[in-house]
Amino acid sequence: MTRILLRNKLDDCIAAWQKAGFSVLAPVKRHEMSSFGEVRKADEMALDLVLTERTIKDQFFPQTEPLIKYKIGKHQIDSETMTPPEKKRVFFGVRPCDASGLAIDDPLFGWDYKDDYWFGRRENSVIVTIACSQADDFCMCTSVKLSPDSTKGADVMLRPLSDGSGWQVEAMSDRGTALVETISSLLQESSAEAAPVPQVAEKFDVEKVMEWLADKENFESQFWKDIALRCVGCGSCTFLCPTCHCFDIQDEGDTYQGIRRKNWDSCSFALFTMHTSGHNPRNTQSTRWRQRIMHKFNYYQGKFGVNSCTGCGRCTRQCPVDMGITETLQAITNLPR
Amino acid sequence: MSDPFEPKIVAFVCTYCTYAGADLAGTSRLKYAPNVRIVRLPCTGRISPMFILKALQKGADSVLVSGCHPGDCHFTSGNYHARRRWTVFRALLSFTGIPEERIRFSWISAAEGAKFAELINEITDDTRKLGPFTQYQELQKVIETQSSY
Amino acid sequence: MGIQEQYRSEAAALLSSGEVKLVIGFGAGSTADRRRPLFARTPEEAQKFVLDAACIANLSTYLVAEGLLSDGKKVGVFLKPDGIRSVNILISEAQLKPEQVVILGYAIESGKDVAALEGRNISDFSIGEKIRKLTPPPHVIEAAEKIEAMSAEERFEYWKEEFSKCIKCYACRQVCPMCYCRRCIVDVNQPQWVSTSSHTLGNFEWNLVRAFHLAGRCASCGACDRACPVNIPLRLVNYRMGKEVRSAFDYVAGENSDQKPVLASFKQDDPETFIL
Ligand code: SF4
Ligand code: SF4
Ligand code: SF4
Ligand code: SF4
Repeated sequence: MTRILLRNKLDDCIAAWQKAGFSVLAPVKRHEMSSFGEVRKADEMALDLVLTERTIKDQFFPQTEPLIKYKIGKHQIDSETMTPPEKKRVFFGVRPCDASGLAIDDPLFGWDYKDDYWFGRRENSVIVTIACSQADDFCMCTSVKLSPDSTKGADVMLRPLSDGSGWQVEAMSDRGTALVETISSLLQESSAEAAPVPQVAEKFDVEKVMEWLADKENFESQFWKDIALRCVGCGSCTFLCPTCHCFDIQDEGDTYQGIRRKNWDSCSFALFTMHTSGHNPRNTQSTRWRQRIMHKFNYYQGKFGVNSCTGCGRCTRQCPVDMGITETLQAITNLPR
Repeated sequence: MSDPFEPKIVAFVCTYCTYAGADLAGTSRLKYAPNVRIVRLPCTGRISPMFILKALQKGADSVLVSGCHPGDCHFTSGNYHARRRWTVFRALLSFTGIPEERIRFSWISAAEGAKFAELINEITDDTRKLGPFTQYQELQKVIETQSSY
Repeated sequence: MGIQEQYRSEAAALLSSGEVKLVIGFGAGSTADRRRPLFARTPEEAQKFVLDAACIANLSTYLVAEGLLSDGKKVGVFLKPDGIRSVNILISEAQLKPEQVVILGYAIESGKDVAALEGRNISDFSIGEKIRKLTPPPHVIEAAEKIEAMSAEERFEYWKEEFSKCIKCYACRQVCPMCYCRRCIVDVNQPQWVSTSSHTLGNFEWNLVRAFHLAGRCASCGACDRACPVNIPLRLVNYRMGKEVRSAFDYVAGENSDQKPVLASFKQDDPETFIL
């Protein structure tokens, strides 16, 4: 017997969480784009999407974020730190790959300096993951050792029942337990079976990939030049990635006042590494593409012991020229050694 | 009681004709509304549409763009090029919801001090009726005051 | 012999004779309905070319890639009429030398059949008349007219919602053959004309600037619209701009390769009804 939440209790569930002081965010499709947005009613949720186009990362690390407001006076500079308002949030219907993304980025934002903007939001948020019941051609979580029912990053894990009427509920953390407590009267005991997890074929051998990347001989390999030829160097694979986290600090304003902001930046951009002198150490798209792959499957691993990819497949799904990491990693897997 | 609304108008003018026209209005002691801030440029051909956008963003309620009459450009054809640009830019602004009434274009020669004074008065009155250009100003306020979530 | 086989062997012949150093075409993509740009340098690689109704990308964008044509050698490229149109524009803007481009032209008819286009050099394709007769898909016209019928406030609200989705990934710019500037205005920071921040105001700036810079230069290939990962209907702005230059100046971008860029030229009697 496990506790289950029925779909028809979702409205009550949202109400209960709101009563407990939470905003509820879930996958929504608005203005032709799917993302996580605040919902008040269950029917606003788009729970049958394989994956939202935008990731949940946006909600913790927004594309642009004000940090400091400043005014330059004659003799002094006045500045004021801008911090996001504290807001308790429940993220309902997060996919395992997106939830993993948060867990993967945690060490990055807390490593030499604790990023209050990230952790302020993390600590006030509860992640309710729903295991996948479908996958598309681009999903590849299993290739990076995750799975369609991975609980990584989840505070509460929901597993769809095979008749589609609801989900099995399991709390995975203290925050999750507390959240489940707020809806305990809406749950019921049941022996209903969970639906089978979809099969996601492994597309590449991540061990082999990591081994090849770790070999310094390969850094200057012709392989990089060939594989990245068609990359046009937009930032969409990085901006839609649940783990890409590069940013740039910009002062926006005039001579006397302004706002310092933290804006997304992308290693795909030619400007990313451009020096003031005009010298650019990564002066071709292939070196930029190599950076993206190396960062995810070598450097990040070396620093934090985990690969910076959740296998969500977005980088391939939306690439205007059908690139994405899958093809590259497949090609590396198949290289003669 | 809040202060009555005083429109802010930015005028981008070329130095050879409209600026000289404005100067003439001044030396002839013609009275015109003090709501205009004049930005002098070498030629209408130098007036980038970016200037207009920036002026609106930074709080202008209306914009005037003005230069020499066709045929009178100091650089021969700057105003002809500008005219094409404005045609397209106006269509773009209008399509994206930035009211056409807030952006005016005119030819004012160095001898037309009176036309300059009248036009400024007219734009000021019209803008007073339209009210502040809040749409952009609100977007700007969001940036300045709110921490994004 | 189908067109795919025909073009494979033509591409192979171009490569083996040394006429071109590279042929840019399409190969199989990551799923059955996707095609991806493929760069062939050898006759063997040319055998991997795929040509069917799924080959919709405008490959001319690669012709302006930094350094590609700087050695003076020729490049072969698979192009549909919209690609030919963008090559015309690039030549008229002095970005391409006509003799450096060998075109393997094709057209997709009624969305499924692929037909070869006669000719190899840009001057062989007189597409002007056809382009003048082209009408955008009805849903685009309909959507644009719907916007034009709105009040200014409603239009602003509409674009505010749309542009607020923009993440400034610049995919629209990167895929566009006309966006060849080595330093785009948004990458200029002294002064910083367009803020790098992707808040709604900054997104307005970016999208208006791009639309304006493409006015009278857009080949209507739709690449930007397809590339936008957040589905902003960029086609509508492009359509509106194209309509304006046509009605005001009787100008259709890319009709031929010797037209003068519309915003870099003028007529003394251009319309000016709006100027006081
Ligand atoms: S791989 Fe695709 S999405 Fe990523 S930068 Fe290159 S073209 Fe853009
Ligand atoms: S690299 Fe690609 S597959 Fe991996 S997490 Fe990022 S977007 Fe998803
Ligand atoms: S603006 Fe868009 S539709 Fe026009 S040429 Fe560029 S990519 Fe193609
Ligand atoms: S492709 Fe779309 S999201 Fe990216 S910069 Fe262009 S309009 Fe913005």
